[in-house]
Amino acid sequence: MGRLRQIVTNPRMIILFIFLVLAIVAIKPVPWNDGVSIRSVSAESAAAFAGIENPAQGSSLMSRERVLSINGVAVHNIQDYYSEASQLKVNKTYTVQTNKGLYRLTTQIGENNTVTDLGLRVSNAPKTNIKKGLDLQGGTRVLLQPEKQISKDEMSTLMDNMVQRLNVYGLSDVIVRQAGDLSGNQYISVEIAGVNEEEVRDLISKQGKFEATIANQTVFQGGKDITYVCRTATCSGIDPESGCGTVQGGSWACRFRFSISLTPTAAERQANLTKNLQIEGTGDIRNSYLSEPLVLYLDDKEVDSLNIGAELKGKATTDIQISGSGAGATQDEAINNALQNMKRLQTVLITGSLPVKLNVVKTDTISPVLGEQFVSNSLFIGLLAIIAVGVVISLRYKKWQVSVPIIITMISEVILLLGMAALIGWNIDIAAIAGIIVAVGTGVDDQIVITDETLMGGKSNKDSSWKTRLKYAFFIIMAAYFSTVVAMLPLLFAGAGLLKGFAITSILGVTFGVFITRPAYAAVVEILVKE
Amino acid sequence: MSKRSRRKKEKISSMEQTQLAHVEGDSKKTVSEPEHTHNYEGKKYSKIVRFYDRHYLWLLIIPVLLLAAALVQIGIQTAQTGDFIQKGISLKGGVTITIATDKIIDTAGLKSELLSQFPKLDASVRTLTSAGQSVGYVIEADLQNSADIDKGISIVETYTGIDKKEFGIETIQPSLGASFFEEVAIAMLVAFAFMAIVVFLTFRTFVPSFAAVFSVFSDMVITLAVVNLLGIKVSSAGIAAFLMLIGYSIDTDILLSTRVLKREEGSVLDRILSSVKTGLTMAGTTIVAAIIAFIFTESETLKQIMLIILIGLFVDIFNTWLQNAAILRWYVEHRGKKHGKA
Repeated sequence: MGRLRQIVTNPRMIILFIFLVLAIVAIKPVPWNDGVSIRSVSAESAAAFAGIENPAQGSSLMSRERVLSINGVAVHNIQDYYSEASQLKVNKTYTVQTNKGLYRLTTQIGENNTVTDLGLRVSNAPKTNIKKGLDLQGGTRVLLQPEKQISKDEMSTLMDNMVQRLNVYGLSDVIVRQAGDLSGNQYISVEIAGVNEEEVRDLISKQGKFEATIANQTVFQGGKDITYVCRTATCSGIDPESGCGTVQGGSWACRFRFSISLTPTAAERQANLTKNLQIEGTGDIRNSYLSEPLVLYLDDKEVDSLNIGAELKGKATTDIQISGSGAGATQDEAINNALQNMKRLQTVLITGSLPVKLNVVKTDTISPVLGEQFVSNSLFIGLLAIIAVGVVISLRYKKWQVSVPIIITMISEVILLLGMAALIGWNIDIAAIAGIIVAVGTGVDDQIVITDETLMGGKSNKDSSWKTRLKYAFFIIMAAYFSTVVAMLPLLFAGAGLLKGFAITSILGVTFGVFITRPAYAAVVEILVKE
Repeated sequence: MSKRSRRKKEKISSMEQTQLAHVEGDSKKTVSEPEHTHNYEGKKYSKIVRFYDRHYLWLLIIPVLLLAAALVQIGIQTAQTGDFIQKGISLKGGVTITIATDKIIDTAGLKSELLSQFPKLDASVRTLTSAGQSVGYVIEADLQNSADIDKGISIVETYTGIDKKEFGIETIQPSLGASFFEEVAIAMLVAFAFMAIVVFLTFRTFVPSFAAVFSVFSDMVITLAVVNLLGIKVSSAGIAAFLMLIGYSIDTDILLSTRVLKREEGSVLDRILSSVKTGLTMAGTTIVAAIIAFIFTESETLKQIMLIILIGLFVDIFNTWLQNAAILRWYVEHRGKKHGKA
């Protein structure tokens, strides 16, 4: 009993205990957390109109709003959410209960009279604040390299634009990071949870230089000349007139259209350019067109060529209809592709172009199923490894006074690391798991050094005092610690940051170990083992 | 609180003093009572220890031969392929598709299907196992442009009948693969140099510091050769494993040097033996944990990391206890004799 009190009141143990409590508060485990959590809210969607807000940038997982029920039916996971959402009807008002309030959402008409989704991107309710990295939760990561070196300012413009583009597209749950390497190459890494790669690859790798010309003269450009881009169902979508049709080879193609508003200057430019054009076609003015079409270019590639109605000749009109197309093997696929192309084009028109062309140098897509499997697998392995290490330690020392503290220390180190990750919003991915393994493995090694130095103390007077023995132990530990840390440092800067997560986790882990858990372990062993 | 911090300061300064005293004491001690290789002082040593004690310098041949063989292997490998390791897709450029499924897929059939579409393809189709059970498949191919990649993916989709939404797909441009490899190679050299500096600053004597650093060097070179011989295609994460090895490998060397140089009780042999006991326990726990992770993980990445660490830990046993220990012992005893004469 006396020893237990000694352990509990030992200052080093108290420090460890305080850190553990802080870590658990940061992780905030709530195993019974229910519902689906809102990752992002699409602009101009039913949810946005009802007042549901996007989660704040950098907010912790557990603070996100959770949908608990739709129309009175409880929602426990994303399957429940989607099955409930798929039964909604057009133009009706439904109630959505979240943990923060009750919202009334009015569904909108979608394409082909389907219901547009509520405008929410959701995921299963998190049980902790630990952010799972891409390879553990599924999603897409794209690594881009600017075609030429760009300045710091250009880089920050580029990244802002990228974030805006993704937000406008309806993805707010994105991480856009700058990365570099030792040779001075610049990279931008974009991580998006739970979206398939094709959907975003084009969006973010496009420079987005949009230009409309008549007879090779610029009429208007994306970004600066456009004041409004319509994205509601009334003035955007599959073109009701031309619609879809089969093309040669039996595949399908669909046309989309949406209206935009130009600035008065751009409208004036258009008037000037059309003033001198010929009218082609005969008879009814509604079937006549001007001799030059309006040609739309995206990144110097022609997207579409539109005939200009004869009645627009010389007129400064600010309302323009933009169109384009999408193809696919089936009609549904063609519709989908056309709508995706439309959404991308709208996004680019709103956000303007990036200062430089980007090349996609690496992409990763991980399915959520694969990710989930990795998580449970990693937990299982972690548990098994801790047990196995415990067995080896018990066989070697045959003293519970040694093996129990070592196992508790290992678990404490994992908790401290996860707490730190939750606190700074660091993603736990496979690289970070490897880092945790390094940290805990080094921890066990150090615990063994402490144990052996203290238990096997020699007989000569000088070496036999606990203080001296611990001094040797910590000399070894500190030398090993600094060697490991300096060995990991270069990885923080090398190779487009691909192994940065690994380096940070292992450095943080061994640091916690050396300054928090080792001293506590040494104190406990001293109390338990010293005669 | 202030009392505590003062005490701490005193502790640190007294630690420095004792350390200095030890270095001096060490040499004084060896002057007055030189170590005798064959004097067992009535202690009972096992046959193995007696054998080791008599022939430790001869045993040094094992790690030296291993290192030489490894250098030859790496030399041949470099001459034949131009690279000192076999680069995986993530270092070479291409696409890796991971499928988690309990469906049985004919791997050879899928590979020949891919080869029939891309005759020059360097492709592999492997089964992912966890605890001996098949849990999925990994398809690697050095497809480069996005049209080919899309075609390759759709071939896999049709062949397996699994939607690509369930795949994990990683594509990497050859340029990034090459620059990443170069970068990490530099990082590794810098890491090694930094580690060496820390070791030299810690021990401040040339031979022991060199012996420790050399042991880590041998460990990495021999591990690399074994990895090559096993035909492992190293991925970007596999390179991280080599960095982890630096840390694990230097641990035991620092332990050994500290015990042999700074401790006073017992003979050099005793101190080495006590280090062996501690060091093997350290290696034992890490090896057991790595074996478990290697067997049970469903992640190709972690599997490769664990395999490389396992190889490295086994190699490290030879390097630390036959190579570093021999050099250290020879150094301490030789130094003793020299001082004795002077």
